Amino acid sequence: MRWLDSITVKPWLPQPAGMAVETHHTPVPILALRVLMGIITVFFLLIMVTFIVRSQFDDFRALAGEPWQPFTDTGRLWINTFVLLLASIGMEVAVRQWQNGQTRLMLLMLSAGAFLAISFLVLQVAVWRYLLSLGYGLSENPANSYFYLFTGLHAIHLLGGLVALVRVFFRLYRGVSAERVFLAVKGCAIYWHYLFILWLVLFFFLTRTPETYAFIAAVCGLG
Amino acid sequence: MTHIALADEDFKDDHHPKTFYGKYVWSLDHKVIAVQYSCTALFVGLVALVLSVLMRLQLGFPDTLGFLSPGVYLQYVTMHGMIMVVYLLTALLLGGFGNYMIPLMLGTRDMVFPTLNMLSFWFYLVSVIVLLASFFVPGGPTGAGWTIYPPQAILEGTPGAGWGIYLMLISLGIFIIAFTMGGLNYITTILQARTHGMTLMRMPLTIWGIFIATILGLFAFPALLVSAIMMMLDATLGTSFFMPAIMSLGEPMDHEGGSPLLFQHLFWFFGHPEVYIVALPAFGMVSDVLSIHARKNIFGYRMMVWAIVIIGGLSFIVWAHHMYVSGMNPYFGFFFATSTLIIAVPTAIKVYNWVLTLWRGNIQLTVPMLFAIGFIFTFTHGGMSGLFLGNVIVDLPLSDTFFVVAHFHMVMGVSPILVLYASIYHWFPLISGKQLHTGMGKLHFWVTFIGAYSIFLPMHYIGIMGVPRRYYALGDASYLPQSVHTLNENITIAVIIVALAQLIFLFNVFWTLRYGPKSERNPWKATSLEWHTPNVPPGHGNWGDKLPVVHRWAYDYSVPGAKEDYIPQHLTDDEVEWDQRPEKREDSE
Repeated sequence: MRWLDSITVKPWLPQPAGMAVETHHTPVPILALRVLMGIITVFFLLIMVTFIVRSQFDDFRALAGEPWQPFTDTGRLWINTFVLLLASIGMEVAVRQWQNGQTRLMLLMLSAGAFLAISFLVLQVAVWRYLLSLGYGLSENPANSYFYLFTGLHAIHLLGGLVALVRVFFRLYRGVSAERVFLAVKGCAIYWHYLFILWLVLFFFLTRTPETYAFIAAVCGLG
Repeated sequence: MTHIALADEDFKDDHHPKTFYGKYVWSLDHKVIAVQYSCTALFVGLVALVLSVLMRLQLGFPDTLGFLSPGVYLQYVTMHGMIMVVYLLTALLLGGFGNYMIPLMLGTRDMVFPTLNMLSFWFYLVSVIVLLASFFVPGGPTGAGWTIYPPQAILEGTPGAGWGIYLMLISLGIFIIAFTMGGLNYITTILQARTHGMTLMRMPLTIWGIFIATILGLFAFPALLVSAIMMMLDATLGTSFFMPAIMSLGEPMDHEGGSPLLFQHLFWFFGHPEVYIVALPAFGMVSDVLSIHARKNIFGYRMMVWAIVIIGGLSFIVWAHHMYVSGMNPYFGFFFATSTLIIAVPTAIKVYNWVLTLWRGNIQLTVPMLFAIGFIFTFTHGGMSGLFLGNVIVDLPLSDTFFVVAHFHMVMGVSPILVLYASIYHWFPLISGKQLHTGMGKLHFWVTFIGAYSIFLPMHYIGIMGVPRRYYALGDASYLPQSVHTLNENITIAVIIVALAQLIFLFNVFWTLRYGPKSERNPWKATSLEWHTPNVPPGHGNWGDKLPVVHRWAYDYSVPGAKEDYIPQHLTDDEVEWDQRPEKREDSE
């Protein structure tokens, strides 16, 4: 309860002079990244709440549940999930290789992380095309709208991560020492893991049956 | 890796500006960025002020302005509201004062991410340009009200449906990105970059207000972004997130089954914390101004901090009190009425503490102090009418009347603006090295303060008499007596006078910058760090070679035994001149 102690001191009373600065040990970019991930979580959470509310309206046709609906068989999405998992693992290996002093291996693994992330995006677009070919357009049904919205926003966030990763490569190319870019690499790895977990949540969330949505809505008091 | 606190790092001057453009345009210095933010915000604020005068001319003297059709009137209402709340107040308080004060008051050289900080300003500028561009597109800006409720916001027949609303949504999206970049900077700087001895509870209340308001902003703006994105999809690609099955101009539209209420919940989940994003920095700054100009420590510092934190937390669970008239489960309304009234407790604590800070203080009636005391009046006043409106049963008949207009202008229009003026008059010597003219300042204060009351006090009465808000003209409504029309004319005349009084302020600023005498280094004899930089105005890097070390809180005014009536935060007990030195500080209780 350190924070509780720090906001209950009485600053008007005499205190030991020139106290040491009591900041966290978390490096600044990582702290900023954590706050950013908190914001992104709130962002997606809010859309999920609207999704649950909207799913209880009569015109909502969930994408799974009946044999003819596209995500009753989720094979395609599992492949994408696996690719994103590999990307995340690649980034983690990159960070560990750096800690072992293997800069070349780190670079290789970073490239793999980037490549797999791009592959994931391509595969997501393939899923979109598959849905469109079945006649599940963006505005045909709110369930479709939400699927495109969620996956699109997730993709935009992954693209943002790729921009940061490209910047790491650029800085290494310009000769900035691996020491100085390490925090950025670590940040990218954390962000990749985060986006993987976010994707798992979205995957689970978007492929439920109408009964499950009704249950969630009832639990949240939105039924 | 060993942890090195930012305050222990050497001064790496790797972004020292070398060219004119590097120094004043593409600047990475938080002080220049703050001034850029402030000037842009004040400029759009002036646009919004002109819009309000035009609106009032229509209300007070109907049909005298030929170009002001009902549609144009609604567009002005919308743009006035949105600009004032988001593009002026949020940007000026956090982008302007937040940027300027955080590093200086905490004893750091700059924000922790200077480039991100610069980008934040440029994104903000783009959002303002996109917003103002909507005045020049076919159909003009959106006239849907600042709450931009669907379905009407995107339907044919609402002024600015089409390009107007698109540009509004895009502009808001860009603004939110700008705010997020700035906000990440403020939070990390406050948490990680404070100088030695600057514990959380030694921070001036200004910083506490900005800190909590930034957290609110970072977690509330996503709700607006979500609603903006979803509404944009509804408007352009025909989805039905918010749009119900609806007939437009006799034709059925493609939408089906969407829920406009969902938008309202999202919007107000942002909209209510937004009130406190504006109010909390103002609370903080006014606390510092009151304490400094009353030569007394702030009363109940810890209580003030906790109140800020509690208000911030509560502000996320009161949003539906803006939606009583939308219809809701009675228990739901009961919950939100209760949580709304509970917010009055920490808020009242703050007001009592401000008054108790003045009690038996050595009050200096300087211009900043006048504005700060004026704030206590207007804020209490606006808060009181909030107690009325927080109750479902009182809100229902008053919700669509001028009573609400009077309430929110008093509490989040006039009050933060008075604090902003107090802060500008107070910190102007620090920012420019010159002190604004006192005579002009006092004239500006009295006209603005009395003028604001003559505008908004009568609005409560005409609201209770049933004058609806958002109406272009009252026509021959038989239930309204002649006195209502007379009051409306009087309000309009007061608006014109108050608007003109702001020209005094502008003239004062330009005149002082050009001809004003150089001010003293620390004209108000303040203790906080920003006044104790080696150069005033502070130079690049703020602190020269060595960061200051903090030995006390920011409110050591009129300390018994000390020779001067203030002890700067960076002085040790041995460095202070004492008439009668207090006993050696040994124990900490």
